[in-house]
Amino acid sequence: MKSFLRHLNKLRWLSLSIVFSMLIILPFIHLYQTYEAAHAYDLLTPTEKTISDTVEALTSPFVKDPDELSAVKGNTWSGTLFGLKLSDPLAVLGQIFASMSFYWAFIVTALIPVVITLLFGRVYCGWICPATFIYELNDNLAAWLRKAGLPVSRRKLDRRIKYIVLVVGLLLSVYFGAVMFGSVYPPAIIGREIYYAIALGGFGAGAVFFLLTLFFDLMVTRRGFCRYVCPGGALYSLLGRYRLFRIKRDVATCNDCAKCNVVCQFGLDPLQDDFGMECNNCSACIAVCPTDALSFTVSTHDVAFQGPGHLGHKYRKAHPDVNTSETSVQ
Amino acid sequence: MKRRSFMKTLTMGAGVLSFGLLPFFMGRILRPNVKAHAENRIPLPGALKNPEDFARACIGCGLCGEVCPVRSVQFYKNDGGFLADTPYIDPEQKSCILCGLCMEACPTNALTVTPVREIDMGTAQIDRAACYPWVDAGVCGACVSICPLGSSAIDFEFGNFYRPVVQDGCVGCGQCVEVCPEPSLPINIVSREHGKVAQHGIGVRKMERGQRGF
Repeated sequence: MKSFLRHLNKLRWLSLSIVFSMLIILPFIHLYQTYEAAHAYDLLTPTEKTISDTVEALTSPFVKDPDELSAVKGNTWSGTLFGLKLSDPLAVLGQIFASMSFYWAFIVTALIPVVITLLFGRVYCGWICPATFIYELNDNLAAWLRKAGLPVSRRKLDRRIKYIVLVVGLLLSVYFGAVMFGSVYPPAIIGREIYYAIALGGFGAGAVFFLLTLFFDLMVTRRGFCRYVCPGGALYSLLGRYRLFRIKRDVATCNDCAKCNVVCQFGLDPLQDDFGMECNNCSACIAVCPTDALSFTVSTHDVAFQGPGHLGHKYRKAHPDVNTSETSVQ
Repeated sequence: MKRRSFMKTLTMGAGVLSFGLLPFFMGRILRPNVKAHAENRIPLPGALKNPEDFARACIGCGLCGEVCPVRSVQFYKNDGGFLADTPYIDPEQKSCILCGLCMEACPTNALTVTPVREIDMGTAQIDRAACYPWVDAGVCGACVSICPLGSSAIDFEFGNFYRPVVQDGCVGCGQCVEVCPEPSLPINIVSREHGKVAQHGIGVRKMERGQRGF
């Protein structure tokens, strides 16, 4: 069990890579479908022929009819997965506020994501969001810059700002009569802009905004957009407040090394048992823990601070008579 | 000291907030004059009639574009204002083939599934001073032969071969616009209240432009 949990982070990267690469592959599949629908292979330009040949070579072993490739369409903002329509809860919330009406056929498409969020918390942010893929790579770049001696992304802001952004965005949606989150929400921006760039040509204003958020993360605060600004993160945090699956520190095997605090990109405090509603269950702290003190548990609340880890200096100074070799883990 | 740190927090919060709200206003700032192209941008089939209602219902997911087999669905980018990221069709570039896939794909009520002959994207409007057959400058009939809805949408004038007349059944798919060989585009898609025959005169044009903008 323990060894499996340590590999969850790799599984998460696999999931993120699959989602991100799908966002790039799907526009090409759409292009291929339009070429096939036109029945005019000879009239294509050399570039279009290359795209058509490549996609055909990649998909023909699995799918014979190009129309069947329509089973997976769209992006993480809203899409179709083998006939199942899924939408981001933020899209649904924004649409309810913008149109001031309930369109139930659309609202039920967010049902499965909401249930998953109620169970697992901000799991969308850590495991699916295509922006997280780029933000985490961007965070590695910031770590290199910090290693090189540049004092970048050290600032800490108030994490309640994102809830204000959520409320203000909803009010602006009502006022201006458009779903405003579509243009500030990085996963929506990325899905759309990749499609624009590949299938239609040219980026929109969202690409500029996304680059600005990357710069913000790199220079001002670590993962600042997700932690402090993202309205979707705010919604998922609220939904996942009483999530059932959460990470728990086993105080008997913790040695107070604080690697978990360093690796947590959301700036949470696993060492003090402080996960809170912002934890996205990314399991990076589980993967980095040298004594396997962190694991998943089923509970609606975090435990209160359990004191220093029993393998750490503080605890052993206070309890010199305890034989730590009994509690240590091989 | 406490007040100073409070002010610092407040300034920082205001900074982050304005940064988050940047794209709300970016579309406004980057927007050129939309009305210059308003005539070329028609709504999708089955779209809500009022463009303001459409902007309220559409979430900008781009599914309509991703399912379109002819790639006729374009999207307002930073020139759309609050219609940004919502779809339109430019019939001059690529017209709608009325396959109905976008209506089925749309997760919201922005596009509703509509039977082909009840779609209302507008109506074709012919400028009789620029159309070859209408000025007796040749024979054509391209628009009539391409029309997917047949003689209920566009037909030749009675007794005059090759002079096209738009009928009541036109749904405004724009295939006639795409196929029209005349560079000045005597045929165009307009909303229904503008009529099937172009009215000439500077005053008329100006008035129409003013009405159509959103």
